[in-house]
Amino acid sequence: CDDDFQEINKNPNSPEDVPPSLLLPTIIKNPVNESAGLAWGYGNVVMQYTGKIQFTNEDRYNWGPQGDPYNTFFTALRDVNNILQITEESGENNYRGVALVMKSWMYHVMTDAYGDVPYSEALQAKDGVSLPAFDPQSDVYTGILADLQKANELLGTSGEALEGDILYEGDVNKWKKFANSLRLRILMRLSDRVDPSSAMQAILNDPATPVFESNEDQASLTYLLDAPNQQPLYTTRSGSFDEYRLSENMEAKLKALNDPRLYVYAQPTTASEAGLVGAPDDYEGVPNGLPDEEALQYSPSGDPEKGGSNFISRVGLMFSCRACDELSSPIAAETVIMSYAELQFILAEARERGFISTGAAEDYYMEGISSTFDYYESRLQAGGFTELAAVVQPEAGYFAQADVAYTGTQEEKLQKIGTQKWIALFFNGMEAWFDWRRTGYPEITPGPGAVINTVPVRFQYPSDAQALNAEAYEAAIKRQGADLITTRVWWDVD
Amino acid sequence: QSRTVTGKVTDQADGSGIPGVNVVVEGTSNGTVTDYQGNYTLQADDNATLVFSFVGYENQEVNIGAKSVVDVALSSSTVELSEVVVTALGVERETKALGYSTQEVDGKELTEARETNLVSSLSGKVAGVQVVNSGTTIGGSSRVTIRGESSLDINANQPLFIVDGIPISNEVVGASGTGTLEVDYGNAAGEINPDDIASINILKGPAAAALYGSRAANGAIIITTKSGKAKKGLGISVNSNVSFERPLVLPDWQDVYGQGNNGQFEFVDGAGSGIADGVDESWGPRMDGQAIPQFDSPRNIPGFRGGDLNAPAGSTITATPWTKNEDNISDFFETGVTLTNNVAITASNDNGHMRLSWTNLNQDGMLPNTNLDRNTLSLSGGLKLSEKLNVNTSINYINTQSDNRPAISYGTESIMYLWIWYGRQINTGSLRDYWMPGQEGRQQFNYNYNYHDNPYFTMYENTNGQSKDRIFGNVSVTYKFTDELSLMLRTGTDFYNELRDKRRAYSTQRFPLGMYREDDIFFMERNSDFLLSYQKNLSDNFALNVSAGGNQMRQKQEYQQTVAPQLLIPEIYNFSNSAVQLQIDESNQEKRINSLYGYAQIGYKNMLFLDITGRNDWSSTLPEQNNSYFYPSVTLSAVISDMVQLPAPVAFVKLRAAYAEVGNDTDPYQLRNVYVSGTPFGSYQAKGESSVLKNPDLKPETTSSYEFGTDMRFFNGRLGLDFTYYQNRTKDQILPITLDQSTGYTAKIINAGEIKNYGIELMLNARPLQNKNGLNWDINLNWTRNRSEVLELADGIDAYTLTERNGAYVQAIVGEQMGAIYGVGFARVKDKNSPYYGQIIHSEEGTPLRDPDLVYQGNYNPDWMLGVQNMLSYKGLSLSFLFDVREGGIVVSRTKTIGSTSGQLEETLYGRPNGYDLSLAENGIISEGVIENGDGTFRPNDVKISSRNWHNRYYERNNVEAAKYDASYVKLREVKIGYTFPDKFFGNLPFRNVNLSVVGRNLLLWTENPHFDPDVISMSGGTLQPGIENMAYPSARSVGFNLSFNL
Repeated sequence: CDDDFQEINKNPNSPEDVPPSLLLPTIIKNPVNESAGLAWGYGNVVMQYTGKIQFTNEDRYNWGPQGDPYNTFFTALRDVNNILQITEESGENNYRGVALVMKSWMYHVMTDAYGDVPYSEALQAKDGVSLPAFDPQSDVYTGILADLQKANELLGTSGEALEGDILYEGDVNKWKKFANSLRLRILMRLSDRVDPSSAMQAILNDPATPVFESNEDQASLTYLLDAPNQQPLYTTRSGSFDEYRLSENMEAKLKALNDPRLYVYAQPTTASEAGLVGAPDDYEGVPNGLPDEEALQYSPSGDPEKGGSNFISRVGLMFSCRACDELSSPIAAETVIMSYAELQFILAEARERGFISTGAAEDYYMEGISSTFDYYESRLQAGGFTELAAVVQPEAGYFAQADVAYTGTQEEKLQKIGTQKWIALFFNGMEAWFDWRRTGYPEITPGPGAVINTVPVRFQYPSDAQALNAEAYEAAIKRQGADLITTRVWWDVD
Repeated sequence: QSRTVTGKVTDQADGSGIPGVNVVVEGTSNGTVTDYQGNYTLQADDNATLVFSFVGYENQEVNIGAKSVVDVALSSSTVELSEVVVTALGVERETKALGYSTQEVDGKELTEARETNLVSSLSGKVAGVQVVNSGTTIGGSSRVTIRGESSLDINANQPLFIVDGIPISNEVVGASGTGTLEVDYGNAAGEINPDDIASINILKGPAAAALYGSRAANGAIIITTKSGKAKKGLGISVNSNVSFERPLVLPDWQDVYGQGNNGQFEFVDGAGSGIADGVDESWGPRMDGQAIPQFDSPRNIPGFRGGDLNAPAGSTITATPWTKNEDNISDFFETGVTLTNNVAITASNDNGHMRLSWTNLNQDGMLPNTNLDRNTLSLSGGLKLSEKLNVNTSINYINTQSDNRPAISYGTESIMYLWIWYGRQINTGSLRDYWMPGQEGRQQFNYNYNYHDNPYFTMYENTNGQSKDRIFGNVSVTYKFTDELSLMLRTGTDFYNELRDKRRAYSTQRFPLGMYREDDIFFMERNSDFLLSYQKNLSDNFALNVSAGGNQMRQKQEYQQTVAPQLLIPEIYNFSNSAVQLQIDESNQEKRINSLYGYAQIGYKNMLFLDITGRNDWSSTLPEQNNSYFYPSVTLSAVISDMVQLPAPVAFVKLRAAYAEVGNDTDPYQLRNVYVSGTPFGSYQAKGESSVLKNPDLKPETTSSYEFGTDMRFFNGRLGLDFTYYQNRTKDQILPITLDQSTGYTAKIINAGEIKNYGIELMLNARPLQNKNGLNWDINLNWTRNRSEVLELADGIDAYTLTERNGAYVQAIVGEQMGAIYGVGFARVKDKNSPYYGQIIHSEEGTPLRDPDLVYQGNYNPDWMLGVQNMLSYKGLSLSFLFDVREGGIVVSRTKTIGSTSGQLEETLYGRPNGYDLSLAENGIISEGVIENGDGTFRPNDVKISSRNWHNRYYERNNVEAAKYDASYVKLREVKIGYTFPDKFFGNLPFRNVNLSVVGRNLLLWTENPHFDPDVISMSGGTLQPGIENMAYPSARSVGFNLSFNL
């Protein structure tokens, strides 16, 4: 009477096999959105683009163990791994290449955040590895660079069209450019440990290893009009959005340069009643790292009657939530993983420091700056913010002013590259923080309420790693140093 | 020839009627009890023998011959009880023949002082049983465990519920979702109607439940419904109950300072434009009546309030007095009213019996616009088709409707979340008119627009409805081949269809453009079984009962969720009004278990009883090679007092021993991984592999247990003592063992672990007072002590996280007790030689520091539990009260941490008696502890910080050490005062057995924490999380009246 007894337990809801195209949207969207969340919560704050006026823990470096990017990224890596396994048999090299690029990007963000991470033994629970060892960061990076090279080789060698590619709409060549641009970023990251010269020059020399050539090529996720694929901040509560404000540091830099990105990154204060675009004086920042009570009533003018959030600029309208402002847009803000501008600054620095001989440092540098103005102009237009888009291009004298012009000693030039790169990396995940730990540009000073007197250089591992993989965790911190936010990662040479 | 026999049972000494005497037709289960006057009525054949028994009296047997009136007088004497209870497979047994512990709760216990959730009624009444609940009171979920936690799967530790021999569902179908949409819709067993219950028998260990198979590994709760058999002819009974509920305990709020920061507040737009008006904490100005612009202050343009942000530009807010509103939260709660009415008609004659009952439960919750309306129809009956053929059936239909059940947990949808941030000065009445003028349906009016929703808006617009139809019941046929041999065939089912609809209005914080969602749930379980029984007295000394049977269980669940994430037009809640693509999630599952079993009972001289059982299950959920598993049990009962002559005060002594094994399977689809649907990105569909790694090689888990016990009665039965020691070991548990995510999975399903549960149960019954005038005093006492020890986990794993919330890891650790809670605590001086050893380390700024290590914070399990019930009766008057005591265990409280950081709780007045100016006396806090000097030595902390800063740092969100409370309590669980009117009082009116009682539940609570009831625990995704409080709803203190009578 029970012929079908074994059949009953076959899951009718979901398949046991899927094509890689169905896995692509999730392995791109989830980690990319996580990156936006980390930019908002930590990257922007620790790099003093924004400062908190309430719940100032992040700003005061009162950071606990960090569950992300670890958990979200490893979750996405499960399906990256599945694509790699599926394509090993099917020979769909384009999907395989994409999977390797996403894998490399995620591990690179994780290792920059935490230091040593599980790598060679990670993602192998199916093969019985429940307690993966943490690999030294140098080994992780060796693997990442090899994977990116492999990805560039694989991409374009098979005929299948990439479907489900929400990042590049199936453009295989753009994935190749992303892979190689990312290699350049990483080679620069490791440059205080490993001479990047030959590897960098080889990429630039070989036409088979293309890199970003315009804003069109950069790796950034464009969102959709409809829930739930709107830009990640669009659906936050207004109070949550408004806790983060323009920082005094950012305000000072942008005003000093007469930089119109002030109108993109911030809004005029409510008290100024200036509307969408104000005069520079209508924008005010808050110092970073104030104790909570002081942050809430901070007065930029010093007049206690003019203190509080009304007198501090909100983050730019383009990033704003629906509940914050009816004009806000679900699609204007993208999540940038790696921008064309960033690559130009990397090349400028590489040329300046003599790692490469192609091109002129000044050209890269200037292209890096001007491309961000173009980028924001196009995004503001996409969001329908024509009034803002009209003021985003700088005045003619911008590039020639002393603090921008590519002049001075090499040290001064590197400082200018660093500063412009910092301005350009606003809201690019935690890249600005990672890069700052290497370059030290610009100067970042802990706020008066900070619980440690240096800028953090690392995330603490998630509590889960401690609770669930204790021995491997202990071994990692024994090798790397205490699990503190002051412990430097391997490439971070003092 | 069966006919009606009536009579009166009196006390031989004084001739007074004895109520509650058991009258049973010998050799049958047919019986009744005497009413208050000692009268009884039952059906019996000619020449039947009636057995009269009652505690403290000698049994008496009377052959009725042809008489229809049989009066008896009982003499006080040494007696032994011959109570009959319903055990596994619906078999009735004399308690003295049982080799294991059971405990019965009379149906009457459940109907006078009522709970909307049946399971909650068991609290304190049964040794070894622990009940906790999620606390939304209108039928929210309760979690019951018997003899502690035996499985690492925290959802698998509840007993099996059986109604009239057929298992029924006790599912909690989780209702979590994005945007903090968690709502508690109740556990399925909680819906069973108490009015239809004759008795509940609790089989505590696997020994008792070996014959129900896997699902009874944690014991079984066997419910027998009323059958209509008891009374000859036509009978009508009515029970009416009304009760009124108020919160038993709400947090103690401070009533000195209102909303704001550092003593300042001024409302402009409730979003930060005023002075600290975006702040949702109560560190603002002292509430002294000074004039401050507020959300409910008038504007200079009539018809607009401060918080009406759509007021014409340039309008100004006129300041109004800033005053305390001590009851601004307690007044939001209304008096809950629960009306329960039951009418039952019974009819019985020689050939059959039936009972038809209708119950309506109508409850208005303590929160505005929350309610529950439950109608239960129950029909049961039996028919003697011939001398050999009997048919029995019972069918129950339950319809549950709720317009709104409150959302739970920590998030904007939950009212308890709002209160923990609610400015202490707010006049809640001002929020009642919750739309901005001219913006009805589009934009709520509130005191804060940064984080929160208006509480009335939440309750009236953002509703969580429920509509559920459920039918369960069974039909059985018994054929007696001979007097010795009979066959029973039975089939029963439990199925329900439930529709949950969630509405979110425009301008909701989490859903600015509204939302509509429907969850459609279908559940079906069908059990069909047969039982062939043979019983014979082999000789004068030996009685034998052998049975063999089989069961097939089929279970099916379907779940479909549809979401319209944004609405086109406000206030239109259907899917065609979705502004964007609908999101649909669907999952179905099916399971089958086939079983064969047999048992033998051998009785020797009616004083030594040996039971042996064996059962084999085949479960569809296990791989083919491992899907068949066998498990045996053996129990022994010896009535020592029948074997040897004991000294006079000893009336009865029984020793019992049992050993049993139970096998267990798992949920469907645990063998192979699949790709589940993710959120599509525009037109791109998305899938991803499920996060839990499945296992194709699972094998069944086994629980083996033994218990020893004794049942002793002294002084003519006026003192009874029942003692049990038990031990269970659960091995090869099938559980998702949590993995670090770097493995690629959140968990993998394995067979692992061994957990030992052992403990003591003590039941004491005493009648200290038994007076010839009819003044009686009975005490029932239940005492339980359980320990669950983790002996082994998987290879290489010595810690397993059962559940996690707010940084509290509820863990199983090898060598430790189950239910240990680990979490982050304060950094403390670890050097034992330091004079500051153990003190909290502070930063240079004087704020307490945390240590990132997870350390042991305590265990949520109690050291012991005690229930004490006292019953006093005098003639028609009765008084009973039940105390419930729990000693030990901790609860990790989110109310404590968040309410401290937000400046809401009474204790946050510490450090600000005179406001916020740190130069004033007593203001500010120098936190107790030390500061590190940098060379490894310490100095006492001498830095004064603000009260807010200290509370925020000390009660850091994930600091479990700062969040915990002792969960011990003493509770006055139940009080009943009743009066049964003498029938003659009503003269010729048809009312009989009229009883009126005043009842109260959850009346008083003594516990360490002043803020919430430690019975109320967190719920997450359908899992009730013991040991964790996460914005607990107040439990209800209810007082009401119960009226019952027969016609």
